[in-house]
Amino acid sequence: MTQAAARLRHFKNIEFILGIVLAGTMTLAVLLSPLLFPDGGEQINLAARLTRPFTDWHHLLGTDPLGRDVLARVVTGGRISLLVGFASVAGAVVVGVVMGLVSGYYRGFWDMLVMRFADVQLALPFILLAITFIAIVGGGLGNTIILLIVSQWVQYARLVRGSVLSLNDREFIHAAKAIGVPDIKILFQHLLPNLAGPVVVLMTLNVATNILLESSLTFLGLGVDPTIPSWGGMLADGRTYLQNAWWVSVFPGLAILFTVLGLNLLGDWLRDLLDPTGRTEA
Amino acid sequence: MKTGGGISIAIPRSRKPSGRIDPARGALGRFPEALVASFLLKRILQAVFVVIVVTLTVSFAIRLTGDPALMLSQGAGSVTEEDLANIREALRLNEPFIVQYWGFVKGLFTGDFGRSFLGGTSVSLLISKALPATLALALSSMLVSIAISIPLGIHAAVHKGKAADQVIRILSLVGLSFPNFWLAIMLVLVFSVMLQWLPPSGMSGLSSFVMPAVTMGIILTATNVRLVRTAMLETLRSQYIQVARAKGLSETTVLYKHALRNCAIPLITYFGLQFGGLLGGIVVIERVFNWPGLGTLAFDAVAGRDYPVLQAVISVLSLLIIGINLLVDIAYGLVDPRIRTR
Amino acid sequence: MKKLSRTSGVALAVLLAALPFGAGAAKAAGTLTISSPQDPGSWDPIDTFLVNWSSVATNIYDGLVYRGPDLKIVPALATEWEVLDEGKRLRFKLREGVTFHNGEAFNAEAVKFTFERLLGEEGKKGPQRSNYAVIDKVDIIDDFTVDLILKQPDPVLITKLAGYGAMIVPPKYVSENAEDFVNAHPVGTGPFKMASYEPKVGVKLEAFADHWGGAPKLDAVEYRFISEPATAVAELQAGRVDIVIPPTIPISMVPTIEADGKLEVRSVTSPTVYALRFNTGSGITADERVRKAMIMAVDRKAIIDAVLGGQAQQIASFQSELSFGYDPKMEPLPFDPAKAKELLEEAGVAAGAPVQIDIRGNDATFGEVTQAVASYLQMVGLTATIKPYETNVLLNDIIPQGKTGAMFQQSWGGWTLDYDNTAYLMYHTGERWNPYDSDKELDALLESQRSMTDTAAREKVLQQIAEYAANRALEMPLYNLNALYGVNKRVKNFVAPPDSRMRLNEVTVE
Repeated sequence: MTQAAARLRHFKNIEFILGIVLAGTMTLAVLLSPLLFPDGGEQINLAARLTRPFTDWHHLLGTDPLGRDVLARVVTGGRISLLVGFASVAGAVVVGVVMGLVSGYYRGFWDMLVMRFADVQLALPFILLAITFIAIVGGGLGNTIILLIVSQWVQYARLVRGSVLSLNDREFIHAAKAIGVPDIKILFQHLLPNLAGPVVVLMTLNVATNILLESSLTFLGLGVDPTIPSWGGMLADGRTYLQNAWWVSVFPGLAILFTVLGLNLLGDWLRDLLDPTGRTEA
Repeated sequence: MKTGGGISIAIPRSRKPSGRIDPARGALGRFPEALVASFLLKRILQAVFVVIVVTLTVSFAIRLTGDPALMLSQGAGSVTEEDLANIREALRLNEPFIVQYWGFVKGLFTGDFGRSFLGGTSVSLLISKALPATLALALSSMLVSIAISIPLGIHAAVHKGKAADQVIRILSLVGLSFPNFWLAIMLVLVFSVMLQWLPPSGMSGLSSFVMPAVTMGIILTATNVRLVRTAMLETLRSQYIQVARAKGLSETTVLYKHALRNCAIPLITYFGLQFGGLLGGIVVIERVFNWPGLGTLAFDAVAGRDYPVLQAVISVLSLLIIGINLLVDIAYGLVDPRIRTR
Repeated sequence: MKKLSRTSGVALAVLLAALPFGAGAAKAAGTLTISSPQDPGSWDPIDTFLVNWSSVATNIYDGLVYRGPDLKIVPALATEWEVLDEGKRLRFKLREGVTFHNGEAFNAEAVKFTFERLLGEEGKKGPQRSNYAVIDKVDIIDDFTVDLILKQPDPVLITKLAGYGAMIVPPKYVSENAEDFVNAHPVGTGPFKMASYEPKVGVKLEAFADHWGGAPKLDAVEYRFISEPATAVAELQAGRVDIVIPPTIPISMVPTIEADGKLEVRSVTSPTVYALRFNTGSGITADERVRKAMIMAVDRKAIIDAVLGGQAQQIASFQSELSFGYDPKMEPLPFDPAKAKELLEEAGVAAGAPVQIDIRGNDATFGEVTQAVASYLQMVGLTATIKPYETNVLLNDIIPQGKTGAMFQQSWGGWTLDYDNTAYLMYHTGERWNPYDSDKELDALLESQRSMTDTAAREKVLQQIAEYAANRALEMPLYNLNALYGVNKRVKNFVAPPDSRMRLNEVTVE
């Protein structure tokens, strides 16, 4: 191992450390929020509205227009963002991987169907799809997650299909087929493990993207219930307060920034680690 | 290629400049002319199919969003069923879906998309004003991103693995991690309200492009820096760069003249692909900056159940994206025959 | 690093070179710029119901009568009028020597043409016709005298003649030009004429020197359509917009504008009222005691002071003090959580009973109000959840179909300022906004006042209706929100109207 390579690894670690510290801290805080803030920052106190941050130990990051504790709400609000981020990616992965496996492995009619479906999906601009979708079925947590799944499974399907196509001709698959291993077993035991790397990379980056998309939707008034604290909702509601009570939207904004940046750093680091050939681009 | 508030571009493996080529199919060499023609035909047929499904889906879905007649009569006092029926009649909402859809498809060819339900403005007129605004913003966002990412990407490639490389990578990821509408609002506060350097909204002269283009451009930068870096790394390894260096050309000349030119084609292709993605993600930014583009148009249209406008906007955008993807596909297919059989 | 900075330096220089243009572009003397949240799409009076149509069109058109910021009906294109045949005939003497912007002369023919168009095939396509359906026909007595013959007396009609569908249009121009041309190029007799209209972007008006009331003091007025509040306020702060009109400025931005020495907030009582209405048909809110308990559980005054920064008045019935039928003696139910708990117990409501509140998802201020309401309900042992809908879904589907939760948002602001326009639509059996309730006694009251020509008697009945609705607690009346205008101090003589229908002929700018 050359000195340069060792140094490279050292610098890689900076990306990893920064990523894990940012995303890890935020995730941990969010997961611990029921213990840290049992009331979930829901306590309205009109008398203490818009307290400035760092002036009152009970409200370290100040209070919002309804006198709720910003710190508690930021920490609790992360639950929605992370839930939307992870659940939508999980859904998209399941749908996308199955579709990709089927279309790449069986080819022919299924392949055509799935890929044309994917083309249609890719040709519809996301936000426009979102406003139409929400206008039909309404907003809310569940619908937001479904919307994100609908708009993102294609990435996984394409990625998996491409990989399956190139794996199909590999010797171990031929061998497995020859000795009569059932298709389903080949798909899940032999093909899937080989795809894990790029899929995990794409997932990490997508959780980051979806947290941002959720906040965009909420900003446009299409997102989740405003009574449930969420980062997107706090940003959107706080935007008109930026000039006289900056903390109402700056802290949730930083929460999004740190979490998403952490995930992006991790994704980038993972990509170099798991997917050196760069099958995933983001 | 899927995009949204935060733009992320996933480029299928087959389109990567340096992507591995399937070894089993890699040695097939050049195809005869007939196969090229059939490849083109197949791609075009696929695109036509997608266009039909997209327009059909859009027209159908829009009609599930609610009754425009109710919308139009809101706040008009006691509205009777008869009044509503009259309005529906005037808007031709009574016609069967397939007739309405056919009218719209004809419009795609003749450029006559009918009239807006809200005020009866010609939809073609609305699109003809909004499309250039959106395209101009998307294009300037790309330019901003390219202007930032080419020097950064080259610098990162040259200093691969060193601190500069890491710093550039992390900074470009920071840009990708901002909720863009929030960044936009903060930029407005700083540059329009506090410093009063730039107009906060609208499209009026060059200065009005700066903030929206920077906000959009920053998002693309993370991807583009990576693309430029990868392409440059590969080019820098090539022999003729070594030769150029050996000739004693200045490093700037080597990098910006020889190396950059060499990876221009794949980079331009990516930027083309991104363009389609940008168009879809621009809605939120248009809203914050009150940009008179397709996004603003679509947003008002969905709020007002303005079917003709909404379906025209979505279809025009989709057609653009399909068209760009088709061109990229064809270009790649022609350049790299191995892809054709995919 | 050197090469790097050279390239990016060039890019930066290109960007910076672009800066000075447009940023602080100087305005022409005598031009007023206004930010309006919405483009109505068409300027034809029969096509719209949008208040933001009126904010512009009030300057382009005249009606037979005019109602200004003081809300008094005064002569406009009609110099005088009388009520004949027990309210079934209105006779108008028309102003002579008035011309439209295109030179056409205004006379009785133009009035007849306007109303026949509104009530005929053309009008059928739009939303305005139903407001004027009471007009049977228009008789021309002479060149400058017309009679409106009514199917039955309509006490509110004279007010309706001051706006919207009743704006007088030039017959020759309208019949000779294509519909969409007329929509985009309105011609009226008003103090300003349209110079240009760019859909979704803005409108430019210029002074019409030959206006019958004298030439306006401004040279030109420019309207820009800006829907995002933070953006509109930023434009105001940057000095590129002189007036931001309602309903743009959220309460949360009032302190921001007030903190800017160049700007001021004009806050005027508006017709807009907010209530959370009850599902009186099913669930716990079918019980009147529960409804009263819920009203008493909420400290509406505290919400107005804290969340709304005092920019609203508490209401006892679903109307503002500007409304005809408003009874200043009516008192809202007091804030009394103890009594509320008692009533809930009496009605047998279990602790933690769920209450769903349906609201419009795009109204941030009301969202905050609802959260405060929910937390007050929580304190008396109810479990309130808030369900936001996209505005049109709520208005066109959820409410009319009776698919709401226990409570739903209703914001209302009829420009005619007559309680009938609210009460009839909210309480009469079978009306669109009344999906749950049917009350014979209330129906009879609502019907009886519609044909009364005795103003005083009618007002009594309207007050009676308000009282009746309050006794049954058909809604939780919340507040009457002020209309907020953000105004640059260089604007002089601007009187902020309660209904956004601004006439700008007296306004000047420094």
